[in-house]
Amino acid sequence: MTPVPEGVPESAVLALRDVRIRDEVNDREIVHGVSFELTPGRVVGIVGESGSGKTLTCRAALGILPEHFVVSGGSIEITGHDIAGLTPARWVDLRGGTISAVFQDPASYLNPSIPVGRQIAEVSRVKKGLNRRAARHRALELLAAVRLRDPELVYGQFTFELSGGMLQRVLIAAAIAAGPKVLIADEATTALDVTVQAEILDLLADLRERTGLALVVVSHDLAVVAQVCDEVLVMRSGEVVEQGPTAQVLYQPRHEYTRLLIDEHEQYGLDRFLDAPAADAPEVDGSGDHLGAGEKELDRVR
Amino acid sequence: MSADPAAPGYAGPGRPVLEVTDLEVHYGLRRRRRRVLQGVSLSVARGETVGVIGETGSGKSTFARAVLGLVHASAGRIRIDGEDVTGYSHRQWRALRRRGVVQYVFQDPLRSLDPDLAIEESLIEPLLVQGVGRAEAVARARRYLARVHLDEDLLRRLPGELSGGQRQRVTVARVLVTEPALIILDEPVSGLDSANRVQVLQILKDLRDSGVALVFISHDLGSVAGVADRIAVLYEGEIVEVAAARTVINAPRHVYTRLLVGSAPTLRSAAADRAGRDALRARLRV
Amino acid sequence: MVRRVLSLVSARIAAGVLFVIVFLAVFGKLLAPQDPLAGGPQQLAGASWHHWLGTDYLGRDVLSRLLEGSRISVLGSVEVALIALVVGAVPGILSVYLGRAFEWLTLRVADTLIALPFLVFAVAVTALLGNGISQAMITVGVLISPLFYRVSRAATLAVARSQYVEAALISGASIGWIVRRHVWVKVLPPIAVALAQTVGIGFVVVSSLTFLGIGVQPPAPTWGGLLASDLRYLHYQPYAPVAPIVLIMATVWGCNQLADAIRDVSGEAGRALLNTRRARVNRVADREPVSVEGGAR
Repeated sequence: MTPVPEGVPESAVLALRDVRIRDEVNDREIVHGVSFELTPGRVVGIVGESGSGKTLTCRAALGILPEHFVVSGGSIEITGHDIAGLTPARWVDLRGGTISAVFQDPASYLNPSIPVGRQIAEVSRVKKGLNRRAARHRALELLAAVRLRDPELVYGQFTFELSGGMLQRVLIAAAIAAGPKVLIADEATTALDVTVQAEILDLLADLRERTGLALVVVSHDLAVVAQVCDEVLVMRSGEVVEQGPTAQVLYQPRHEYTRLLIDEHEQYGLDRFLDAPAADAPEVDGSGDHLGAGEKELDRVR
Repeated sequence: MSADPAAPGYAGPGRPVLEVTDLEVHYGLRRRRRRVLQGVSLSVARGETVGVIGETGSGKSTFARAVLGLVHASAGRIRIDGEDVTGYSHRQWRALRRRGVVQYVFQDPLRSLDPDLAIEESLIEPLLVQGVGRAEAVARARRYLARVHLDEDLLRRLPGELSGGQRQRVTVARVLVTEPALIILDEPVSGLDSANRVQVLQILKDLRDSGVALVFISHDLGSVAGVADRIAVLYEGEIVEVAAARTVINAPRHVYTRLLVGSAPTLRSAAADRAGRDALRARLRV
Repeated sequence: MVRRVLSLVSARIAAGVLFVIVFLAVFGKLLAPQDPLAGGPQQLAGASWHHWLGTDYLGRDVLSRLLEGSRISVLGSVEVALIALVVGAVPGILSVYLGRAFEWLTLRVADTLIALPFLVFAVAVTALLGNGISQAMITVGVLISPLFYRVSRAATLAVARSQYVEAALISGASIGWIVRRHVWVKVLPPIAVALAQTVGIGFVVVSSLTFLGIGVQPPAPTWGGLLASDLRYLHYQPYAPVAPIVLIMATVWGCNQLADAIRDVSGEAGRALLNTRRARVNRVADREPVSVEGGAR
């Protein structure tokens, strides 16, 4: 290992420093400086609407920026190594082995004509040099680790036989097959049903506790990020408008945009009902105008 | 039970606009025939918003499609605005749709607007279909554009040139032009960002207050909670729970509803109860 | 659309070539320096001042025959393409809407037509209906029509399943309305590609048929016919086939280039292409100020 550069705590597995990303097609900067450090077992969340630059930031860290997008400033370090100017061969080593990712649409990342188990086994064979049998064994272990109920059965199934939630588990299994230190989950639960989303989030939290995996959780939903993250970055049109420990962002938001995100949940989300103490809840007569009462109550509470 | 607002037949304060009784829908033929909906009863009154919550495959979209006459119901009755539409033929359905009594808002506004037609063309389409003159149609469309807080200069643009939130508001305006009594919305805010979500939800609230009946279909309890008067929980083709929104959220009765409430991401209960969810999942599997 | 297609260099060259060919087809008769049917004393003569491209085995001026022949050759291939378009695209679009029976029937007919080797079939039909350019072109057009059937059906299917069509349906729109308002525009670009391609195919087929002596009666000149007669006297005049071959190749190449260009600028591929170009321009523009700055330091 090359010596760790000065100023970086030895434990940082992923460090972004004032990362800027430019779009060469329209000749403008899309991401205006993102910085965070991720140590093992920690979870950083990035919240923002589509087009806020959250996905580009992740892709930059994975070295898979779309065509015509370049990192134009700042630095990204993975386990202490600057990734600028990495050779493609080094990237291949790094991806999967050190940093890995899952995305929104799991089905499109798997080959529909190969059983999913074999695709996971392939990762261990290529990345860890396991032989066929050991790789199969490892794949079954992984499928069990992502809490799929019948690993043997799932191993031989194809993508079209699995539900969205199961596919996302399979993809997580493949992503952690080579024992990465960082896993980026970019809107990994967005397309899933709420109950399944909770299962996947629980799984990620579980993996982090058991293996010390560091996570970057990207979502447009502040509540999703709030549930699993230690630190939150709120991004808006390429700018980090708020950054801090989760509790601080939730309870002492400084930027109006963060406040807007919180307000949305409080006014229209479940929080509105859950916040009201159950004993105080007005008698619901079902006449249809209890909502008005709820609103008044909310105003009063504020 | 019949006096209980949670009862399936309960229609709320106004005249029922939609009355579904014991709806049953099957897909497939013969041996592949399977039941998608079973014994679904729900009624929605004027000025009422009912949320229909269910996961993928729960039959919630089928429910919407049955009410719109896009799938055939194998049993049960559907009454729309007092009219029994149960055995309607294609022609009768088309006549009913042309009147614009029932309308539908899709989840993905980009795909539900023709990419090659200017916004104005999409907006006036339902009116042109009705046989309204062009000038009159355009004038009416403009009125509804204002109601969803959109500028008139958007009329000349293509859907691809609008933001997601603007597009969804356009699709809402499009269903409003026929002054429907009932609007069915399929995940109308799922693809939207916070600011746009708030705006669309506010528009829906205003609509409800103006007397339109809304059926708000979603997999996410959270997105429905803020606007629905009552919530119906659909699980494996059956309604397992119908009650006032607050009751469903604070005192869910069915195991699935409890898991649903426990799974919905919330801000303040961030230290969510993982073990509790695991227990509920185990109970559902049995 | 037209402007975007012509922004490609290859499309511009192709359009230029095709323009010249069409020009020849329209005005070829007037441009011909001599009577294409009149024989002369010099047979199989080489290129000379009098006969720029020499003469054929009856002493007829080759250049004049080529110019005269361009009309039948070009019109023939356009005819083939248009017949294929009408016979193929209309049922292709309707197959999505007119119910199962129509769909099944047209699909089977299309499969059958694909299975028939069209050269052989054209020979058979002309034998049955008498030898003539129209019979041959109609036959070939019908046999190529499955291409249009499939292209327009695929495009229509994609549109028919789209939500905006469903939205129109929910508003009570009829099928005629939906086809006019939503489907037609989406089906046009793929059909344009197929059309350009078919003109190319049609050209080869017309040339092949006339080469075989089918479709046109002997004295009337066509490029394929010229090529056939040239090949017979290859021993005396080895370079004679070059002129008709070059013309045929240029036309087919032009059509294919144009088809590619239309395909490239429409849809996803078109956007990727334009992005690559714009990025290149921006990168070049950026490099200048950066290097100036570096120099100053």
